[in-house]
Amino acid sequence: MPGKDRIKQQMIRDLVRDNLDTVRGTLPSGLRRRRRAVNGWLLGGLAATLVVAFSGAIGSTAARFAAPRRHFASEPAPPAAPALSAALPAPQKIDPSLFRLAIRKLVIDPGHGGGDPGAMTRQGLEEKAITLDVAERLRALLKDVPVTVVLTRTDDRSLSLERRVEIANAVNADLFLSIHINSMAVPDRVGIETFYLGGTRDPATARFARNENAGSGYSLADFKTLLEGVYVGVRQDESRRFAETLQAGYFRALREVNDRVQNRGVKTAPLVVLVGTRMPAILAEISCMSNADEARRLGTPAYRSALARALYSGIRRIIEPETSAEGLAASAAAPKGVS
Amino acid sequence: MTKSKNEVLQVGIDLGTSRSAISSSSGARHVVDSYVGWPVDMVARKVVKKAVLFGKEALDNRPMLDLHRPLERGLIKEGSQKDEEAVRELLGHLISLASAKEGQKVFAVVGVPAEALRVSKQHLRNAVSGLADSLMIVSEPFAVAYGMDSLLHTMIIDIGAGTTDFCVMNGRYPTDEDQRTLTNAGDSVDEHLATLLRNKMPDGRFSIYMVREWKEKGSFVGEPKQPVVVKVPVHGKPTELDITAEMRRACESLLGPISETMLDLVSRVEPEYQDDVRNNIILAGGGSQIPGLAEALEKTLGEMGGGRVRAVEDPVFAGSNGGLAIALDAPDTDWESLAG
Repeated sequence: MPGKDRIKQQMIRDLVRDNLDTVRGTLPSGLRRRRRAVNGWLLGGLAATLVVAFSGAIGSTAARFAAPRRHFASEPAPPAAPALSAALPAPQKIDPSLFRLAIRKLVIDPGHGGGDPGAMTRQGLEEKAITLDVAERLRALLKDVPVTVVLTRTDDRSLSLERRVEIANAVNADLFLSIHINSMAVPDRVGIETFYLGGTRDPATARFARNENAGSGYSLADFKTLLEGVYVGVRQDESRRFAETLQAGYFRALREVNDRVQNRGVKTAPLVVLVGTRMPAILAEISCMSNADEARRLGTPAYRSALARALYSGIRRIIEPETSAEGLAASAAAPKGVS
Repeated sequence: MTKSKNEVLQVGIDLGTSRSAISSSSGARHVVDSYVGWPVDMVARKVVKKAVLFGKEALDNRPMLDLHRPLERGLIKEGSQKDEEAVRELLGHLISLASAKEGQKVFAVVGVPAEALRVSKQHLRNAVSGLADSLMIVSEPFAVAYGMDSLLHTMIIDIGAGTTDFCVMNGRYPTDEDQRTLTNAGDSVDEHLATLLRNKMPDGRFSIYMVREWKEKGSFVGEPKQPVVVKVPVHGKPTELDITAEMRRACESLLGPISETMLDLVSRVEPEYQDDVRNNIILAGGGSQIPGLAEALEKTLGEMGGGRVRAVEDPVFAGSNGGLAIALDAPDTDWESLAG
């Protein structure tokens, strides 16, 4: 059937393009399509110009920013300006690990607080108390590492997500780590996972993001502005690398004291605290309160210390990869932004 | 110019969390449990007599091995170097089973869980580069749809071990908006069942591998055709245990999330095509074989005007056959652009 053959040919062309995008380290075509729809030619051309100006890299994908687009009758024709970006050399993603930047300042954000208890158990244990306790223990452990640690809150107070972001940006942190405790619909699971900024198709993650973003303090317009700037730089790649390193180190260390924890891996989610921060930012779900056994453990200082030590292990791998064999392995395994 | 049949061996590979399969243009088809194990020391190496073991052989010798099941929950587990290496070894092993002739190029299409493709695409690419002369990575549900020629107004629900992947085929290469992934899948059923059984019989000793085997033999949704009875060691004595109720509960834990996502995706299809999609829902992956599941999902669709859900006929090779179909249809110029 010729119609079906044409569909197949087009699908294979798109599939090959998608694979080539991966090989070249460019944004997936689906994402580019969405960005074009949102941002239009101007932002695309501007992004290309900025990235090229910053990196000086030469590649072969600039044409995509200026590739002929299909325009509907109601859509105004684009001005002639995109021709400029067509003439520019291609933007290529920068591999942040090439710079070997040091982590000198770490902001730890204990999730929730004050009137926002976060998840709760039937016994009255509150997420806000555990995150603060673990954050304090982690700060104490990090005293032997040459890094300045700042906590977004040191007591039981309400703090909007916007304020948390402001604190991290004001101290010019190199890394932002938000600590949370999972609560899952299936109570027999003890899932730990780490998020960095990105979209999600998983309804459970979308629900989680909606809950975590509630009361952020940002207006919709602010949020859109923040989102539009996210993919231009290297921050997302760096966040992913940190998330992978932390999750691997944390899981491995925690498994030694609790073999029931499940590694739910590294995921992307559109979380406000990850959008507004200007440095690489990750959010770690370090335990799971909906599991009765885990909730009982969380009530003990010894287990909270174990969580802090496991986080410390993960953070050491980020901060001092050279001195940690595991860290080196993780760095080697981390995806590189440049093909 | 098309390369002659003898110059190139095209292969389609389904790299699954639980099982991996390969279909090749030479007609060879193989399936391997997705386990890779390395002997832990020289003694183990002498006993197993191999540098690396795969599938059931690896599982059977697991006390002597550093055993990896590299795609946990549809992702390369932990993003660790060892798991990347395990993916690489597993793919290398599958390709070797296809027995390419001397000098023959290998063009491979590797289908992976959609979540793996979305989150760790570059990881995967790194892990598998160099194993074939040219390589394409595709999402598994897309490969299934392509292999079945179900490219229009169809929904594929690929119930694997690590993830359940949904893909609505609209006559174009699926984008993120057309796909969904749930972690409610075979492994979550195993974990659920294990928990229920631990509660039922605290003195029973069993491993997750035993639970997995019980599920594969006795899973069902709805009314049981026969009781599910297993033998569990209690204080060292094999004891018969009726686990019918627990099996049903664990398997039916998939129903809610899958139904919810299926209905949501149908509701997002263009209104004039929703009937078509509802009547073209295809279950793939190992989970598609759970007796009663297709009927239960059809019952859910009844609330939205009815529909038809069917399982693929060959769940083991549906993905790899689809990959092979893509490999055979892709022009040489495309393969050349992806070579190296």
